[in-house]
Amino acid sequence: MSDTAPDMLPGMQRSRWSGVRKHTFLCCVSLVMLYPLLWMVAASLKPSTEILNTASIIPSHVDFSSYRRGWFGLDVSFGTFFLNSLIVSVLSVIGNVMTCSLTAFAFARLHFPGRNLCFAIMLGTLMLPYHVVLIPQYILFLNLGWIDTFLPLVVPKFMATDAFFIFLMVQFFRGIPRELDEAARLDGCSAWRIYYKIMLPLSIPVLATAAIFSFIFTWDDFFAPLIYLGDPGNYTSQVALRSFIDSSNQSDWGGLFAMSSLALVPVFIFFVFFQRLLIEGIATTGMKR
Amino acid sequence: MRERMTGAASFGGATRPPRTSKLQSIREGYGFLMPWLAGLLGLTLGPALFSLYLSFTKYDLVSDPKWIGMGNYVRIFSTDPKFWIAMKVTFTYVFLSVPLKLGFALAIAMMLNKGLRGLPIYRALFYLPSLLGGSVAIAILWRQVFSSGGLFNQVLAMLGIKGMGWVSTPETALYTLVLLTVWQFGSSMIIFLAGLRQIPADMYEAASIDGASPRRQFFRITLPLLTPVIFFNAIVQTIDAFKAFNSAFIISDGTGGPVNATLFYTLYLFQEAFSFFRMGYAAALAWVLVMIIGCITAISFFMSRYWVHYDE
Amino acid sequence: MASLTLSKVTKRFGVFDAIKDIDLSVEKGEFVVFVGPSGCGKSTLLRMIAGLEGISGGELMIGGALMNDVAPAHRGIAMVFQSYALYPHMSVRKNMAFALETAGMPKSEVTARVGKAASILQIEALLDRKPKQLSGGQRQRVAIGRAIVRDPQIFLFDEPLSNLDAELRVQMRVEIAKLHKELGATMIYVTHDQVEAMTMADKIVVLRLGQVEQIGTPLDLYNAPVNRFVAGFIGSPKMNFLNATLLSVSGAGAEVELADQRLLIPRGLASAQSGRIELGLRPEHAMLSGGDIALGRMEVILVEHLGGNTLLYGKLADGQMLTVQVEDQARTQAGDSVEIFTQARRCHLFAENGSAFTPV
Repeated sequence: MSDTAPDMLPGMQRSRWSGVRKHTFLCCVSLVMLYPLLWMVAASLKPSTEILNTASIIPSHVDFSSYRRGWFGLDVSFGTFFLNSLIVSVLSVIGNVMTCSLTAFAFARLHFPGRNLCFAIMLGTLMLPYHVVLIPQYILFLNLGWIDTFLPLVVPKFMATDAFFIFLMVQFFRGIPRELDEAARLDGCSAWRIYYKIMLPLSIPVLATAAIFSFIFTWDDFFAPLIYLGDPGNYTSQVALRSFIDSSNQSDWGGLFAMSSLALVPVFIFFVFFQRLLIEGIATTGMKR
Repeated sequence: MRERMTGAASFGGATRPPRTSKLQSIREGYGFLMPWLAGLLGLTLGPALFSLYLSFTKYDLVSDPKWIGMGNYVRIFSTDPKFWIAMKVTFTYVFLSVPLKLGFALAIAMMLNKGLRGLPIYRALFYLPSLLGGSVAIAILWRQVFSSGGLFNQVLAMLGIKGMGWVSTPETALYTLVLLTVWQFGSSMIIFLAGLRQIPADMYEAASIDGASPRRQFFRITLPLLTPVIFFNAIVQTIDAFKAFNSAFIISDGTGGPVNATLFYTLYLFQEAFSFFRMGYAAALAWVLVMIIGCITAISFFMSRYWVHYDE
Repeated sequence: MASLTLSKVTKRFGVFDAIKDIDLSVEKGEFVVFVGPSGCGKSTLLRMIAGLEGISGGELMIGGALMNDVAPAHRGIAMVFQSYALYPHMSVRKNMAFALETAGMPKSEVTARVGKAASILQIEALLDRKPKQLSGGQRQRVAIGRAIVRDPQIFLFDEPLSNLDAELRVQMRVEIAKLHKELGATMIYVTHDQVEAMTMADKIVVLRLGQVEQIGTPLDLYNAPVNRFVAGFIGSPKMNFLNATLLSVSGAGAEVELADQRLLIPRGLASAQSGRIELGLRPEHAMLSGGDIALGRMEVILVEHLGGNTLLYGKLADGQMLTVQVEDQARTQAGDSVEIFTQARRCHLFAENGSAFTPV
């Protein structure tokens, strides 16, 4: 998607005044929307006495004590939680990118009997609520002895279960000229070689998009870790934040906000650096998840 | 004359050139699909069938599943008041949050579309909540913002209005969740922006030469041509809304409270499965959810014939 | 031994035959052009030879071996695509070496082959660039280079010049012809442009609706088209077709009535019946003076001056439209009435079903 706005359309010339009004309105909306976020980050930097009972986002002085308190606010430190989140997220990224791109390549480029049926089923699973498979999956992982490990969170990602990414990649692969595959076939390439020598190098943007979304979704995932992780030492940051609320009895808002802010940092970094990829990913698939 | 080797011989000297056949294309295709197929059978279709079976049983993870026929479904629809509470909460949430979210997304997209300076900045700012919104951190923030001593009441106090504990009051708790969803309108807005960009500019040029006012252009050109995008967005968001879980769980401490005011369907299902270990009953609830989503999708597609404009 | 033989080759999509019973033999070193209007199946046929499309029926032999089910890379062919299909992420050198590396050829030989092809095409200086950094003509050369390094039995070209501008197209046309001489390789070339076909081919295959209309040298097709379609497709400006009546056929030729004139054309058809026929006359064969038969007067409606020659568009006595090409810059103006002559041997006759009367 291009950032350049289309030219003003004839018949729609508006006065400078209406432009100013519009900008004012949009600025106000943005401010109202983002104020809670700013306030939370600001609150995490305030001395704990200042946090509540004020709507201001300007601390009297910057104080990192909330971070220290929050980091060690539970029996296990947040260092462990963030590390756990990181491990799970990185493994999920690897699994998703590898297996979804393999699947998408087959759907976008190979001809074989049953392909269209498989593709339709894949799109169908996009609509299927996770809750239908939740309980049998839980029983399965329970019987495999995987409860309280990262395996239930990570192994499905190595089986291309996230149809969203397959769909995203199929859309992108279809845009790559078919002549390149044909030329490669004439050059003696097997399907596998076309996949990793031609397709993957040309698909870096979509692979990156999938990787980033995959990371964010996994990082933010709450439901699966909530169900599968029992020992606090295995908690991901999201589950840890939740037990922080319970344990602190809502008294230590500073520590909670500090850790919440930290949990948002990775997502925010991706937003800052890869915004364009994320926006394109949403625009091409028409869905966020 | 120069002697040329056949392609096969000159390339590595294979004695028999490999043949392309149907069998090979099957091997190739399903080779690439292997991980997905394994996942589909082992983690999606298999479990789905098993949960269908479980939904006709009584099962607590400890003793073997006991076949009770339609028992679970009968109980869901006749003697389970909590099911109907969850239905009411969920439907209220879905049918408030989705139209509001899409309406807001479309309105902002329309404002951003028409050659506005600073579009990328606004787009980024409006998108940020949508990207962060899935996080537990945001739900925690929301819980504080609308608590009795929270940010929202601070602001109200500055305006001289006395607030209340929005999250802890049964009458308002659900609306804070609706607001949280509407707050994340950014991704829908991006989809609308992409859709608006697809409408050729010369169509507006033709319309303005024909003397159509901007208002008329919106209702006669923009809106009809955007209906496929609106429809798609509505379906996706509706399905998503039925599956909402995190925010209600965090805000109500997993209870669905106060007084079941935020008892989302998925939350109820979770409680049945993992608090009371009524796995059979929870499986039945899951299948009822599938049927509800299926019906609503089917009705939407049926209705779409009357308002969605397709080129073909 | 023929380099390529097709016998009864067919391509079926459902009930529709995209290619039907094609028989063709291409000799070693020949330059063969497939030509025809869009949708005639010429690209499909080329892709079947390449192995990119399956063959539904018939036999495809390359170098004496049956190739119907052989993988594209092992058919001993190389192809130049319309879009060039250069790998965007690889340098020119990598693009050219890719097939050889895939086949596991020793590095030294790969380097040698790429270097040789680059020198033939004079693209040594471009070897480390990416396709994005090349002009259209340069990309074209690289695409050809990628084919050359494989030292194929047959080169296949799929409308390779259609993405170039007019000037470059003429230049590349000459270069490909030169390359053909230099390499002495068999080449099959697909185009919809009859000028390309006429100028480059040793042998032209005219296709329509998946079937061969005529195979022959460019001049064969020009001088003796077997039917109305080939006559209309080959030659520019297009041949005139005039309604006429066949009176009788004798050993000397056919007696024809056209615009109230009786003409004897030295052409015969085995089973000719008297009745309606069409007389085909190329604009360059209609003359304002000379010739051995007169077609009567033509009222000039429009004059186009092309500099080297002039096109006159006009109406014959019976109202039929006729285009006449005269050498040099004619003085004739719109509204003038001119006498039209031609040579009897330049006239073509087509029966009602479109097939041509053969010369006697």
